[in-house]
Amino acid sequence: MDATETTIVLLLFGSFLGLLALGAPITVALGVSALISFLYLDENPIKFVQIAFTSVGSFPLMALPAFILAGALMEAAGISRRLVNVAESFAGPFTGGISAAAVFACLFFGAISGSGPATTAAVGMLMIPAMINRGYDKGFASAITASAGSLGIIIPPSIPLVIFGIAGLGLQAPPEAVEKFGAFQSVSIPKLFIAGFLPGLVISISLLIVNYILCRKHGYKGTAEDWSIRTVGCAMYSGFWSLLAPLVILGGIYTGFFTPTEAAIVAIFYTLVVGFFIHRELKWQDIGRCLETTTWLTGRVLLILFTATVFGRLLVENDIPAIIAQAMLSTTDNLYLIWAMLIGLLLFVGMFMETLATILILTPVLLPIAYSLGIDPIHFGIVMVCALGVGFQTPPLGENLFIASGISNVTIEEISIKALPFAAINTAAIFIIAYVPQITLWLPKLLGY
Amino acid sequence: MGKSFLFKFFGSIESYICRTLLALFVLLLFAQIISREVFQYSIAWSEELATYMFVWFVFFGASYAARLSAHNRVTFQFRALPKKAVHVIEGIADLFWIAFNVYFVYLSFDFVFFKMNLFWKSQTLGIPMKYIYMILPLAFTLMTIRIIQVNYYKLVKGIDIRDPEKVEVEKMIDEREAGQKTE
Repeated sequence: MDATETTIVLLLFGSFLGLLALGAPITVALGVSALISFLYLDENPIKFVQIAFTSVGSFPLMALPAFILAGALMEAAGISRRLVNVAESFAGPFTGGISAAAVFACLFFGAISGSGPATTAAVGMLMIPAMINRGYDKGFASAITASAGSLGIIIPPSIPLVIFGIAGLGLQAPPEAVEKFGAFQSVSIPKLFIAGFLPGLVISISLLIVNYILCRKHGYKGTAEDWSIRTVGCAMYSGFWSLLAPLVILGGIYTGFFTPTEAAIVAIFYTLVVGFFIHRELKWQDIGRCLETTTWLTGRVLLILFTATVFGRLLVENDIPAIIAQAMLSTTDNLYLIWAMLIGLLLFVGMFMETLATILILTPVLLPIAYSLGIDPIHFGIVMVCALGVGFQTPPLGENLFIASGISNVTIEEISIKALPFAAINTAAIFIIAYVPQITLWLPKLLGY
Repeated sequence: MGKSFLFKFFGSIESYICRTLLALFVLLLFAQIISREVFQYSIAWSEELATYMFVWFVFFGASYAARLSAHNRVTFQFRALPKKAVHVIEGIADLFWIAFNVYFVYLSFDFVFFKMNLFWKSQTLGIPMKYIYMILPLAFTLMTIRIIQVNYYKLVKGIDIRDPEKVEVEKMIDEREAGQKTE
C-alpha cells in the first residue's frame, strides 16, 4: 500500500466512522467522507451530481418501492393476517406445534413481504398471543418470532436482495480474477431471488430443530384435541386469495414471465382487487397511508444508494478492495477460514447498522474481494444477506427484538437471551450455506439461469 | 383558516408530490404490462418516463424523510445520555449535512444551468435532460430547509420528532391492546 492509498483509507474511513459516532445520518457520513477524499485527491466533484442521477435512475431499482408498496397494501387488505391464520391452523397436537407454525408463517409471509421487521410485526401480532394462550413462556414466544422474522429477508422476494443486486450490478469482476478462476456469472435480481429459496429453507429447518428441542425440554405440548381437518379447511378457504399471492409473485418471476419489478406491480393490483372486492377490508385512506410509507422508506434508502455509490467508486478506483483481499490471502489461503472472517465481519457490522445501508456500503468493498478469491457473486450475495439478517435478532439494533418486545411486553434483554440459541443455529446454518455453494447455486442452474 | 391550510400544505408538500408520482408510475408500469401481454404492443416511451418520475419521487422522498427525521443514524452510543443532549449532538452532526447539501446544491445548480445545454435530450421522449436534472438542486434545497425545520422543532420548541418506523410499530401495538380490551 503506498502513501496516497493509506491516506485515502484513513480519510475515508476515519471521517466516516467519526461522523457515525457523532450521530450523523449514515448517508451524510458516507457523502461527507467521500467529498473530503474527493477534495484531497483534487478530483472534479461534478461526479457527485452525475452519480446522484445515474445511481437512482435505473429501471430495475423500481422493484424497491413496488415491493414496499405491495407489502404495505397486503397488510391493509388482510392478506397477511389470513396467511398467518393458515399457518396457525396447522399447529395441532404436536410438541412445539404452534411455535413451528410461527416459523412457517414467517416463511409464507417472507414470500410476499420483503422486510424482516414487517414480517415480525405481522406474524408476531397474531402468533405471540396465540402461543401465550397455549401456555408458552412469553419470552420464548417473542424470541422465536423475532428469530424467524429474519426469514422475511431471505425468502424471495427480498428487498435486501434487490439492493444487493443493484449494488453488485455495476461491479465487474477484476480481470486478474477472471484470468485465474474463469468467467463469473452475472448478477441479476431474478437469479438472486431463485438462489435465495433453498438457503431460506435451510435456515428454517435449523430453526425448527432448535424449536423442537427447546419445546420438548420445556414440555410445550400441542392442544389436546386432534388435528382438525375442519379448522385447516376453513383457514385455507378464507385464505385462498392470500395463498395465491405468493404463487402469483414467485411463479411470475421464476417462469420468467415477469421481471421482479413487474411482479411487484402485478402484486399491487392483485392486492387492490382482493382488498376492495373480495376481502372488502381495504379503504381509500389505507392507500394514502401505504403510499406515504413507501415514500419516506424509499427516499431514505436511495439517498444512501447515491452517497454509497460515490464512496464505493472511490474505494474501487484506489484498489482498496484488492489490497484488503491481498492482506487476507497473506494470512491464510484457506477459503473456509476466509469465509469465516467474512461472516464474522458481516455479523458484527449487522449488529450495529441498518441492513440496507450496510449492504450498500459493504458490497463495493467485499464483492471485489469475493471475486478475487474466486467466490461466485450470487453465492456471496445470499450469504451476505443471511448473515446481516442475524443482526435483526441481536442487540443493540435488533429491530425484530424491539417489535417482539412491544407486542409481548417482555424486556429486550430477556428476549435477546432467549433468542441466543436461535441466533447460534442460524449462524451455523449460514456457515453451511457458505461452505456448500451448491445449496445456493443448484436451483438457479437447474432452472437455466 | 386559509393561512393554516397553506401552512399544512407546504408542511408536507413533498408527500403530496411523491404520492402522486408513485401512483402514476405504478399505473404506467401496469399499463405497460397489460398492453404488452394483452395487446402485444409495447409502449416505447413508458419505461423512460417511469424512470424519470421515479428519480423525482426518490429525491422528493428523501426530503420528506428528512422532514420526518427518518434517515437512519447509529444511536446505540447515546443510550445513556439524556434526550436533550442527544438532540444537541445530532444537531451538531446535522451541520455537516447542511454543509454537504449547500455545496451539492451549488454543484448541481452550476451543472444544470451552466454546463448542460438544451440539445442534450432524453432518448425516447426527447425532453432536454436539463429539466429532468433540475430535481437535484430543487430537492436538496428543500431537504436543507427540512433539516433546519426539524432541528428548530427539536431544539427550540422542544417537540420530539421521532423515526416514523418506531412510531408506526408503537401505534400498531397500541391499537392491538385497545382491541383486546374491548373484546
